[in-house]
Amino acid sequence: MMRTTYLLLKYTAILIWSSFVVLPFLWALTTSFKTAHGITSGATYIPWLQYEPSLEGWKVLVRTGGAGINIVQPYISSMVVTVGASLISLALGTLAAYGLSRFTYRLGFIKNSDIRFFFISQRIMPPIVLAIPFFLMLQYFGLLDSIIGLIIVYIALLLPIATWVMVDFFNNILREIDEMATIDGCNPIGAFFRVILPNSLPGIVVAGLFCLIFGWNDFFFAFILTFTKTQLLPVAVVALNSSVTPWWSLSASALVSVAPLVIIAFVVERFLSSGNMAGAIR
Amino acid sequence: MKRYLLASILSIVLVASSFGVQAQDYSKYGIGADIPGACSYKSIDAKDYSGRTLNIITHAVPVMGEPTALHAKQFEELTGAKVNVVHVPFGDLFQRIMIPFQTGQAAYDVLFYGSLWIGDLHAYLEPVPAAYQQVSGMKDVTVNYKGVATWGDTMVQYPVDGDRHYLKYRTDIFDNPKMKERYKKETGKTLKVPTTWEEYNEIAKYFSGWDWDGDKELNYGSAEVAKRDDLMFSAFISRVAPYAKHPDVKGGFFFDLETMKPLVNTPGWVRGLELFVAAQKSFPPGGNNFGLGDEIFSFGGGQTLMSYSWDDAFIQAMQSGSRIRNKVAAAPLPGALEVWNRKTGKWDKFKTPNLAPYITWGWTSAVSKLSTNKDMAFDYLCFFSNEANTAHDLQIGRFGVNPFRKAHFDAKFWIEKLGWEEKIAKTYVKTLSDMDLSKNRVFDLRVPGVGQFMSSLAAGVSKALAGQETPQKALDGVAEEWRQIVDRIGKEKVREAYKNVVALEDNLR
Amino acid sequence: MLKYKHFFLLPGLIVLVAIIIFPLLFTIRVSFSSWDVVKPGLDWLGGKNYERLFVDLRFWEALFKLSLMAAGSVLIQYLIGFSLALLVWRDVIMKRFIRVLFLVPMMTTPVIMTVIWRTILHESLGPANDIVRMFGFEHLTWLSTSGMAMFSVILVEVWQWTPFMFLLLLAGLLSLPKEPYMAAAIDGAGPLRTFFSVTFPLMAPISAGAILIRLIEASKMMETVYVLTSGGPGTATETASYYIYIRGLRDYQIGYAASLSFTYLIVMIISLTIIAKVMTRKIIRD
Repeated sequence: MMRTTYLLLKYTAILIWSSFVVLPFLWALTTSFKTAHGITSGATYIPWLQYEPSLEGWKVLVRTGGAGINIVQPYISSMVVTVGASLISLALGTLAAYGLSRFTYRLGFIKNSDIRFFFISQRIMPPIVLAIPFFLMLQYFGLLDSIIGLIIVYIALLLPIATWVMVDFFNNILREIDEMATIDGCNPIGAFFRVILPNSLPGIVVAGLFCLIFGWNDFFFAFILTFTKTQLLPVAVVALNSSVTPWWSLSASALVSVAPLVIIAFVVERFLSSGNMAGAIR
Repeated sequence: MKRYLLASILSIVLVASSFGVQAQDYSKYGIGADIPGACSYKSIDAKDYSGRTLNIITHAVPVMGEPTALHAKQFEELTGAKVNVVHVPFGDLFQRIMIPFQTGQAAYDVLFYGSLWIGDLHAYLEPVPAAYQQVSGMKDVTVNYKGVATWGDTMVQYPVDGDRHYLKYRTDIFDNPKMKERYKKETGKTLKVPTTWEEYNEIAKYFSGWDWDGDKELNYGSAEVAKRDDLMFSAFISRVAPYAKHPDVKGGFFFDLETMKPLVNTPGWVRGLELFVAAQKSFPPGGNNFGLGDEIFSFGGGQTLMSYSWDDAFIQAMQSGSRIRNKVAAAPLPGALEVWNRKTGKWDKFKTPNLAPYITWGWTSAVSKLSTNKDMAFDYLCFFSNEANTAHDLQIGRFGVNPFRKAHFDAKFWIEKLGWEEKIAKTYVKTLSDMDLSKNRVFDLRVPGVGQFMSSLAAGVSKALAGQETPQKALDGVAEEWRQIVDRIGKEKVREAYKNVVALEDNLR
Repeated sequence: MLKYKHFFLLPGLIVLVAIIIFPLLFTIRVSFSSWDVVKPGLDWLGGKNYERLFVDLRFWEALFKLSLMAAGSVLIQYLIGFSLALLVWRDVIMKRFIRVLFLVPMMTTPVIMTVIWRTILHESLGPANDIVRMFGFEHLTWLSTSGMAMFSVILVEVWQWTPFMFLLLLAGLLSLPKEPYMAAAIDGAGPLRTFFSVTFPLMAPISAGAILIRLIEASKMMETVYVLTSGGPGTATETASYYIYIRGLRDYQIGYAASLSFTYLIVMIISLTIIAKVMTRKIIRD
């Protein structure tokens, strides 16, 4: 009896939260087929029945020559920048996190926890004032309006997250594994690559997902540090936000831009379930 | 042999295509016919800019952004140049332009932006060369918009659009005998298009919260731009102008030019704000958080009886397929029967309402001083605004290009090309052209740091709207902040700039 | 041993410092200048900007509102995120689908998704009030009265960022060792006692880490505010980061905004350090 009640409660809770998650997307889906006339007549939901559907919101996204924006090129640029910066951040962040988790660093009064905090503190600063120094820096190196320039800036945004998340994961892996590997004749670097890394795949996957998400969705720097040649997806999409907010095409673009990340989420989920790392060594 | 064949085919193609160019009638570009002139399709076609690149920053699609890109593509085809266009939402446009300017980066050749920023940008802009000031399209620009484009004695902005605030209202209510009768019976007054803001508020209140157009949805009296950082300051200035701009008092609307003392907390301004606060009762639900886009949807979609701001909501309502097409009309902004006279320190009573048209900022364009393609950049702007292109762009509501030449004030154009009813077209044209004749106009605060002044004003007004402070206290706070801003930027610097605005307002040219 | 440990930490640290050092120092330097729209450049203003911000009530109020909204939304995110993670940790139908579904909101671009939320909460044209009316209630003032506007901002933040908590906590749960649970089962502990004596203590470090990083991110809350209310009604939802945005980019007072940012950075570092200390102490005690 208690078990039934529990199951009932559990699935009710899941259902409620799922609806809350899904409803904005459903609204975006139906809105993406509307025109201004379909919007000004109040909230409507069902095409044909309540409003006359139109493909305009979607067509705008692939049109060139003024009557829309073409998001194909920005889509590709966004992927290159996001994946590039994420991979570099993940590599550097994993190494640094392992170091912070296993060794003791001291520099005067600075300890491990301070170094870790230094990493994450880079995300505290509001981006607004960093825009101008980053602009000057990239200008000095001739990297304004370029993919490379954006990757460099994005590393500064993503590396802290990767490091922060990975330290927690390494702390959770028992130190015995390291010791076992060292006894087997590996030096710490060898042990890290041969034993630790494979065992911390779930952590790497989670950290990587965060990097991808934050990189993919960053708006501000992509905006200030590019002119006309390089455009990232969020920047291209807001180029539709004119005096009249185009509910339809923004809805369509919201759905389009979430797509690649959802695919990645399915991959991530697989790693999460399969990799019970604590279990792996026992 | 093969190579020879290829070359001959190539030459034949080339010859054929050059013939094609000569026989061009340019109608494939969607314009009615090319209109001869220095920047006509034919003249631009004769230029060769191949191998060169033009970088343009403009507003988001479609308002101004779409015509920019459209004419950029045509310009590419005609001249062989490569043209890159980047579209930016209005809220981010200023910093996108300013950061490269301040750091000496030649990011863009051509800029489209809000004309009120002239005070901040003029130092970075290339004056319009004399030759371009002599082209027919430029000569026909009205005095107002030439004034808007000019800094001191130099034209630094290239006029491509004309903007102003005016009143929009529903004719199916105002001209409806049943409504008139009902209004008379219940209020004892005659229903007519409001000529003062007090009347505007009264009528708006009466027509709020019931379904007066029979579509089973509630209707409301007034849609206004009231969201704090979304151009609300312009709406507020429209409301304040007739109470604070006395036709006989010269020397400044925002500041007293002599002392540079802010006038924002004088009784005329306070009255304007009190009426703005009171008007909230007639807003649709959420109306005190309406940005420009919401205002356009609300009036343009038939939810509200009246509205005032730029052309967009009117154009939205007049679009084919709109359920209130030809049921709206334009009128001058309401005025005031009592006007604050800051010279005498008294309210002066007027028999006919004092009108003070607000020639609000709008879209303009310019060429960067840092550009290495100034010749091409000016040719582009001249081409963008040639008579054939403007005639085309004026017909497409979403482009946001509004009348700015004398030739545009011709009711026939709107009746024939867009199918407007004659009466609507005539009142529209008259409303717009009368603003050019007014001797009591208000221009934007075109001084360095205008962003600071306006965001401070918006914050104060917003506090009063939300009931956090009384109108007087809120505007006192704004005045104090304005004093500090003036001190920071430099009194003389602001005065020097404001002198130009006052000269426009006092009709000194 | 020495060189090994440097092999791990130094590459990341050096890269980060190399990228961030110039912008950081530059910002500090700018905060002592009057860089604005008319005077670009690094003149020396002394501490004037700091004097000004010290008496700038709007900034301190915004900081207070920020801490209210950030703490509120992060707490809700943690509670919901943890509950969800517990719900789908073990067996559940359509496990993979539900887990991914719970992650999706975080993957949307905040700027764009907030615009969608604004259309949802639009008081006369959006579905939120349509649904409220369907149940026979008066329409709600989602964005136009102070209390509701704050609620709406938190609502959108919770929708967008609960998945972040959910993912970190789910990953933590999945990597828990099995022995403590066996021991608890032998002791005959019920599910509640197992949770409080085994799961929660084991999850404490990862919880603390997740809360801290979310607090940092939530404190930068700006786009949500800009799109939904632009700080209104009045100044009801004006957060510190939004205020810095207004001063920095709308007003283009770069010098003053830099001093605000730097002050904000200091305040945040101090309060986060305290929060981190309190949380760690609690973990140790548990």
